[in-house]
Parts: sequence; C-alpha cells; structure tokens
Amino acid sequence: MSFWIVIGILVAIGAWLIGVYNGLVGSRNQGQTAWSQIDVQLKRRHDLIPNLVQVVKDAMGYEQETLIKVIQARNAAVAASGNPAQAGPAEAALTVATRGLLGLVESYPQLKANENVKQLQEELTTTENKIAFARQFYNDSVNNYNTRRQSFPAVLAAASLGFGPMDLFTMPETEKEVPKVALR
Amino acid sequence: MSDLSSVRDTVAHGPAAATTTDFVAAQRVNRRNTALLLIALTALAALLGYMIGWTIEGEATDSVPLWSRLGVGAAGVMAAASVGWSLVSLAVGDKLVLGMASAKEIDKQDAPQLYNVVEEISIAAGVPMPKVMILETDALNAFATGPSVRRGTIVVTRGLLNTLNRDELQGVVAHEMSHIANLDTRYMVIVGVTVGLIALVCDMLLRTLNWGGSADNRSSSGKKKSSGGGILIILLLVIAILAPLAAKAVQFAVSRQREYLADATSVQFTRNPNGLISALQKLAEKAAPFPGVSHATQHLFIVNPVQRFTKDTPALLATHPDIQDRIARLRNLGA
Repeated sequence: MSFWIVIGILVAIGAWLIGVYNGLVGSRNQGQTAWSQIDVQLKRRHDLIPNLVQVVKDAMGYEQETLIKVIQARNAAVAASGNPAQAGPAEAALTVATRGLLGLVESYPQLKANENVKQLQEELTTTENKIAFARQFYNDSVNNYNTRRQSFPAVLAAASLGFGPMDLFTMPETEKEVPKVALR
Repeated sequence: MSDLSSVRDTVAHGPAAATTTDFVAAQRVNRRNTALLLIALTALAALLGYMIGWTIEGEATDSVPLWSRLGVGAAGVMAAASVGWSLVSLAVGDKLVLGMASAKEIDKQDAPQLYNVVEEISIAAGVPMPKVMILETDALNAFATGPSVRRGTIVVTRGLLNTLNRDELQGVVAHEMSHIANLDTRYMVIVGVTVGLIALVCDMLLRTLNWGGSADNRSSSGKKKSSGGGILIILLLVIAILAPLAAKAVQFAVSRQREYLADATSVQFTRNPNGLISALQKLAEKAAPFPGVSHATQHLFIVNPVQRFTKDTPALLATHPDIQDRIARLRNLGA
C-alpha cells in the first residue's frame, strides 16, 4: 500500500516538473524571439546611419559636429551589440545622437527637400519606432518569464532545471527634449 | 429562443471585455464567444430543420407525431449546412469582403510609409505582418479582415493616406491591428453569419406558417389543430417578426463594444493617444459614404462608411459609437 503511495507522489512530482519546465521554456522562447527582433532592428539602424550621414554630408558640403557624434555613437553601439545589458546604454546614446541628426535635417530646408534624405529619414524613423516597440514587447516577455521563474513553487525547481534570469533591455532616457542643433 | 438569449449573453460580456486593454484576454473572450455562437447557430438550424420536417410529415399523414423521423433527418441536414456555412464564411469571408471593396495589395515600394507603419505596429502587437491594401477612393476610412491572426489584412483608403500625417496613420493602423490581434475579425464574421441565418430562419418560418395555415383552410376537416395550436402559431409569428430585428440590434451592440476596445488597444500599442485622437477628428469632419460598400461590411470600418451618425441617431441603430464619445474616452486614457 505505502509502495503505491510513494509511486503516486513520485509521478505527481514528475508531472509538476514537466509542467514547470514546459511553461518556462515557452516564455523564455518568447523572450528570445523578441530579442532577435530588437537585434534585427538595431543592426538595421547601424546600417542606415552611415548612409544618412553620407547623404547629409554631401548635401551640406562639410562635416558637421552632429555628424561626427552620430558616427561615434554608432560605432560604440556596434561594438556593444549582442548583450542586452551592455547594448542598452550604448543604444540609448545612439538614440540621442540620431535625434540630433534628424533635428539637423528638419532645420535645413535644402536637406528636407532632398529625395534621398527624405527616404532615409522615413527609414530611420520607422527603425526608431520598431526598436521602441520591439523593446516594449521584449521587456513584457522578460517580465513574464522572470515572474514565472521566481514564483512559488516553480522557484524551487527553476534554477536546478537551468533557467536563469533574463535581462531587461533598458535604454536610459538621458534627454527627453528635442536636442538643440548648432550649425557650424 | 434560447439561441437569441445566448447572443444576448455575448453582449453582456462585451462591456466587461471593453474595460480591459489586455488583448490576450480579449482574444480569449472572443474565442469563447465565437464557439458559443457557433453552437447556438447549429442548434437553431437543427431546430428549424426539425420543425419543417415535422410540419411536412404532419400534413402528409394527417396526424401530429411528437417524434418525427423526417424531422430528425431534416435537423441533421440543417445542422450540417450551418456548420458548413460557417466554415466556408471563415475560409473565404475575407476574400469576399476584399473582392467587394476591390482593394489592391501593395508592397513596400508602393507606399513606404504605410508599409513601415504597419510593420512597426505588428512588432508592437507581436503578431505576424498582415497584408496591406489600398482602396482607391477619396473617402477617409480603413478596415481590417482575416479569419486568424496569421491571415490578417489591413486596408486603408487613398484619401486617408493623403490626409493623415505619420502619427495619425499610426493610430488608425494600430486600431485596425487590434481588430486582428483581438480576433474581432473572426468573431464579427460569425456574428454576421448568425444574424443572416436568424433572418433566413424567421423568413422560412413565416412562409411555413403561411403554407400550413392555407393548407389547413383547404382541408375540409380541421380537427387536428386545437385552439392551443393557434396560440402557439401566433407566438411563433411574433417571434419570427421580432427575432431578426433583435439579432440586428445585438450585432450592432457587439460591433460598438469592439470599436471601443480597439481604440484602447491601439493606444496600448502606440503609447500615443494623440495620433488616434487627431485622426478621428479628421475622420469626423471628412467621413463620407463611398461606393462599393454594402451594409454587410459596414461594421468592419473604423468609421461607418454607409451612413453618418450623429448624436441624434438612435444608439441602437449605430454600428459605431459616436466619434466625439470615442475621442473623449481616448482623452481619458491619455490623462
């Protein structure tokens, strides 16, 4: 009799472990898919910025301080890419620099009228939005996963099943207002 | 009448769903309501089949059997037909609607900004990229269709594209994307089928009653119908006349609730109520009826494309809430 009780308890624990495992795998995969979406958009931004900088430089005839800053921020972001914790601050800095570049374009009528600039401006705007929305979705997924992992009783098994915490992707908002654009 | 009351239950759930902006929960409610409607629809069809079979057998044998074999057979046929009708509607409904509206599918080169905006919002909603189409008309409008999250389509008019700025377009696209993410598109197809079938059933019921009545007059012996049967027939007549009207009112009520929910979900995606608010203001000023839209598809659009509704229009007859009311609710979200 007691033999069967032991067997029953073992089966129940096994079923519970399977449930915890599958639940955690599901939400971790959602988080990883969301991260790959952010990664795609960040790479796209890294590719777009040199193009826009080049077009602006050609149209203005000289290299302006804003452009140098954007390229520096872009190169720092490329170096930090791949890891949510490190990429966050670098990408935040790039966001600020990019806003400066877009502001520069806005304040120069001859730039705004340029078809190439217009097209790149739209591409950069949509990429900025996609990064923001993908980050929103990624962080929601990570919060969901981390909450699941830390909740009782899953917290008893999560670490030993190999489910570590996932990092949020935070881009500290260093500058909320539209950056001032100084020409020359 | 149990079928109609279950449709009313569905409406009663509407406001509860509208108070939350959680589209996963909204999907769940819509899935459940779709299943309930399908069951009610099948039961209704089977009941009608049985009544027709029963009437025919009663007329033929000059007796009123409680258990009619012809009735059971007809009930089976009608149930199968209603399930078939629903499945076909889900499978080709979106193509029919798009064909009727004669919208053209576009890719990124045709309208880069529109395409980009749809891509952005599909990322925010975490759903696959839907098809994007443009309807060549100056009227300002947009709609979404599709039987599942994976097979969605978003349609905007040329007039809308030319009039709205980027933020406003984003608000409208997010509104349409929430119809897809919330599975409103699928739910409204089944609601439409249900309302259509109730109308058809009642029409057939009226004809059957008429035919039964005249046959009764022709036969010299009116012995088989008692006075109790007469009251039943009057009751059936009243039901047959009122049920389609009630079903229509229910459909419109469901549609209005879905619009409020889509507005709220739109802001959840964009985190910017001002885009949708200013888009709705422009739509309120310039919304105009345009050809190629039938009453069958009017509830799909962001604002009603057939009629202009004002505060004076009886709310019961409106597929969409008053635009000023929608704007007021969005302002509350932003505050």
